[in-house]
Amino acid sequence: MNKALSIKEPYPPGDFAIWIVIYIELVTFGLMFIGYAFSRRADIALFNTSQLLLNQTAGFIDTLILITSSYFIVKAVNSFKNARGEKIQSANNLASKWLLAAILFGLMFLVNKLLEFSAIFSQGISLSTNTFFMFYLLLTMFHFMHVSLGTIILFNIRQRTKKDGYSADDSRGIETGGVYWHLVDLLWIILFPLVYIIR
Amino acid sequence: MKRSVEGVWAVLIIFTIFAYLLGELKLVNTLLVGILLITTFIKGQLVIDYFMGLKNVQLRYSIIPTLWLSIVLSSIAIAYYLPIK
Repeated sequence: MNKALSIKEPYPPGDFAIWIVIYIELVTFGLMFIGYAFSRRADIALFNTSQLLLNQTAGFIDTLILITSSYFIVKAVNSFKNARGEKIQSANNLASKWLLAAILFGLMFLVNKLLEFSAIFSQGISLSTNTFFMFYLLLTMFHFMHVSLGTIILFNIRQRTKKDGYSADDSRGIETGGVYWHLVDLLWIILFPLVYIIR
Repeated sequence: MKRSVEGVWAVLIIFTIFAYLLGELKLVNTLLVGILLITTFIKGQLVIDYFMGLKNVQLRYSIIPTLWLSIVLSSIAIAYYLPIK
């Protein structure tokens, strides 16, 4: 095997601090996912009937939106791979377009989720309705807050691309925002089947 | 094996459609929940490796999200399949 192919990067992409945040978020959401799964065992019928009130199509669209927006972020980060000298401006222009697409998708997710929350609340459902909806609202609202923060971060990163602020030698900021957005995507990838599909 | 980011995106979309169809067509049963959890693991690992960029990072960093994914999905499987007394 070619030795060059097996060389690993010493550190993950982005600021090291964001990885501490990511590990903490993973533990927090992980405990809530496991809590949901084991709480379901106490009253499977209640969880199954409550789940029928959710809009699976909305959850599906949310998943497609987040996966696609994550893809846009990868394309934005990859724009800077060879961005040196004269290529810096065009790389920032290209990344700015990918970031705009990701931000618009982030906003679409937030609007879709608000419509879903509105439909749930109009049925008189709240955190105290039952254990299923306590978990559903806690998980999805907490996740909603992360998508909101992620969208603001992407907006700020895009502002810097407009000033040609990133290059191949200085792309840590966009990588940091990117991995945070991928975390939001990763969490939803588990949340969708767990809460909307499995019964 | 080198994968294109477009290929990863396509796999993620296909597995998401599979999950949605299971729910929408009311096909969810004990066997298919197992398959759904396996596809969810693959989706999560693809995001970790190719979107988060941990595929070519030293194991001590890349193993943490993979362990998290394994523990969470295994716990969900245990909660689902463990007989209720």
